[in-house]
Amino acid sequence: MYRTLGGRVVPSTARGGVRVIRRRLATETPTTEPLPQKKRHIVRTILLTTTGLVGTFYIGSPFLAFKNEPYHEFFTEQVPLGYSMMQYAEDNNWETMTLDSILTSSQQTFASAQRYVTDTLSGKSGTAEEAKTAVKNTKDAAVKAIQDSKDRATSAAARIKTGIKKETSTATAIVKHQSEQFSRGVQELIREAEAALTNGTGPDSASTPDAPASSSQSPPTDAADRSVYNAPLPVGFELPPGYSRPTPPPKKPEPEPETPPLPRLSPTLDSITASEPIIAHLAGTIDNLTSYLEKNPAANAQAAPVLENAKEDLTALAARIEKVRDDERAELEAKLDEQTREYTVKLMDLEMEAQDRLDGQEQEFRRYFDEERARLTHAYREKLENELHTQTELINERLKEEVIAQGIELQRRWIREIKVRVEEERGGRLAKIDELSANLKRLERVALDNSTYLDENIRIHALWSALRALSSSALSSPVRKPFREELRVLRHVAAAREDPVAVAALESLEGSDVPDVGVEPFADLATWFTAEVAPKVSHVALVPDENAGLLSHLASRAFAGLRFKRQGLVNGDDVLSVLARAEYHLNEKDLDSAARELNQLKGTARLLLHDWLEAARRRLEVQQALEVVQAQATLASLLVV
Amino acid sequence: MSTPKPPSSEDLLGQKYDRCLADFLVKAGVGFSAGVVLSVVLFRRRTWPIALSTGFGAGIAYADCDRSFNPARIPGTRIISQLPGTEGK
Repeated sequence: MYRTLGGRVVPSTARGGVRVIRRRLATETPTTEPLPQKKRHIVRTILLTTTGLVGTFYIGSPFLAFKNEPYHEFFTEQVPLGYSMMQYAEDNNWETMTLDSILTSSQQTFASAQRYVTDTLSGKSGTAEEAKTAVKNTKDAAVKAIQDSKDRATSAAARIKTGIKKETSTATAIVKHQSEQFSRGVQELIREAEAALTNGTGPDSASTPDAPASSSQSPPTDAADRSVYNAPLPVGFELPPGYSRPTPPPKKPEPEPETPPLPRLSPTLDSITASEPIIAHLAGTIDNLTSYLEKNPAANAQAAPVLENAKEDLTALAARIEKVRDDERAELEAKLDEQTREYTVKLMDLEMEAQDRLDGQEQEFRRYFDEERARLTHAYREKLENELHTQTELINERLKEEVIAQGIELQRRWIREIKVRVEEERGGRLAKIDELSANLKRLERVALDNSTYLDENIRIHALWSALRALSSSALSSPVRKPFREELRVLRHVAAAREDPVAVAALESLEGSDVPDVGVEPFADLATWFTAEVAPKVSHVALVPDENAGLLSHLASRAFAGLRFKRQGLVNGDDVLSVLARAEYHLNEKDLDSAARELNQLKGTARLLLHDWLEAARRRLEVQQALEVVQAQATLASLLVV
Repeated sequence: MSTPKPPSSEDLLGQKYDRCLADFLVKAGVGFSAGVVLSVVLFRRRTWPIALSTGFGAGIAYADCDRSFNPARIPGTRIISQLPGTEGK
């Protein structure tokens, strides 16, 4: 449990990873040797064959690749782990490597391993020397590793720009692989130790510090150990006959310190066990042995000094290991710090350089960018100006349209406002004007009415004047005279007044010949009747209406003189009564009634009255027409008033 | 009187009377004259032819005068009193 854990934890550190790479060559090369010897099992044969072939391929490919350029390309690009392999080969200067150098180096390593093994075999006192050699080895290995890592770091720094990722991935892959291998080797060692322990012979104090030292401190020492223990590597199998021999000797001296003086190791090693669990384990094992020896009192006496000695040695060894480890750690840390500083400086330099280059590029880019920006600015400004120009035109046009629209709108508003104002004014002063105009209209109406009234009055006046003129000339004149002129004037006046009745009456009068001849004055008519017509009519008063011959007339004339003259309104239908009534009416100036009375007569009397009746009728016609006109004029004047 | 040219209607009878008288005188004188001649020539101064011819003359004058007063009176005819106005006019 503890061993496996410890064995796995240590190689996982970065320090160990680099060194394992180197150890790999040592592990691979020996594998080729046992290949032909093992043909017992097919699986193992196949495994070993493939391992050998793969190893040969991977190791031989770089040598071939250095000679052949196309193969170099193929190997680095196509074969997995080929690039890292090539890298490793370049780092270790395989180009210049020859078979002799390989052989010499392998011999050297073998010799050193042998020396180490012999040292370990020589005894517990040799632990210090062994540790010293181990320290020396580790120092060398560290120096080498530092050198390697430096080379690799420089090469990696040179290749940083091209493919860091690939490199890291391959490096990690390599590290993983090698750490696996290393852990496997450690595991095998541990198993071996366990097997040695469980074989009953007991753990040896010399080998116990070896395992932790190898597992915890320095992998190069492990490599040296393993070159010795490589032969018995296959776990669970029997040890190969030829190569397993160097290993058993270290196991044999181990049971010696099993003397039981009954001292206990574990309490005395408390300080060490805290840091070294394996030592603690070993101490526990020794304690177990001690307890076992206690149970066997026979061996007790012998074992006591040995155990004491073992205890002292163990404590001294633990202290020594601790010290060496601390020294080594300090040294390594110092070296690592120095390396770190160096690489930091290098990195800084590179960074500075890259920075300078970047600055230069940046400046160039900036200048180009400035130029481009200026050009683009110019172009865009021109474009912008054009755009602005067109926009300005557009806006101006739109503004003009808007101004026109607003002007129209304003005009409309003004008109509306003016209308409103006018309405208000009308509500105020113009209302008075309206009133005044209404008054004026009323006045006008009144004036018109007045004028029409006046006109009517004038017309009526004219009518009356014409009527009076006509009546005076036609009716009341003392002599008979034509009155057509007056009648025409009257008729015009009546026509101007649009009096249909008067016009009709006057037209009927005008149509006859009465206005030309005039009418008899009433006095003439009366005189004519009384003086001429009435006596002669009275002479024929007795003449019969029909068949009145000469004799009838003569008789009527003869007897009419004999009759009494009647006066006034008398009754009777005879001619004399009618004549008396007519005479009475004429005396009363009633021509109409007189004419009506005389119009009743018939026969010879009517013949005699014919002319007089005509004259009377004419006069009556004129008189009637004038009366109609007069009535109309009266009516008109009454309407006017 | 007032109408000089046509005689006035009331003077119609007077005119008829005047014309009848003139006609009688002419016709009676013609008859008398004719009777005197006849008596002297034919009847040796006898008187009855003179009276007869004067009578004839006077009679013709009377007939004419009567016809002038009543022109509708025609021998052999009789006027019914239903239509007196038309005769008179």
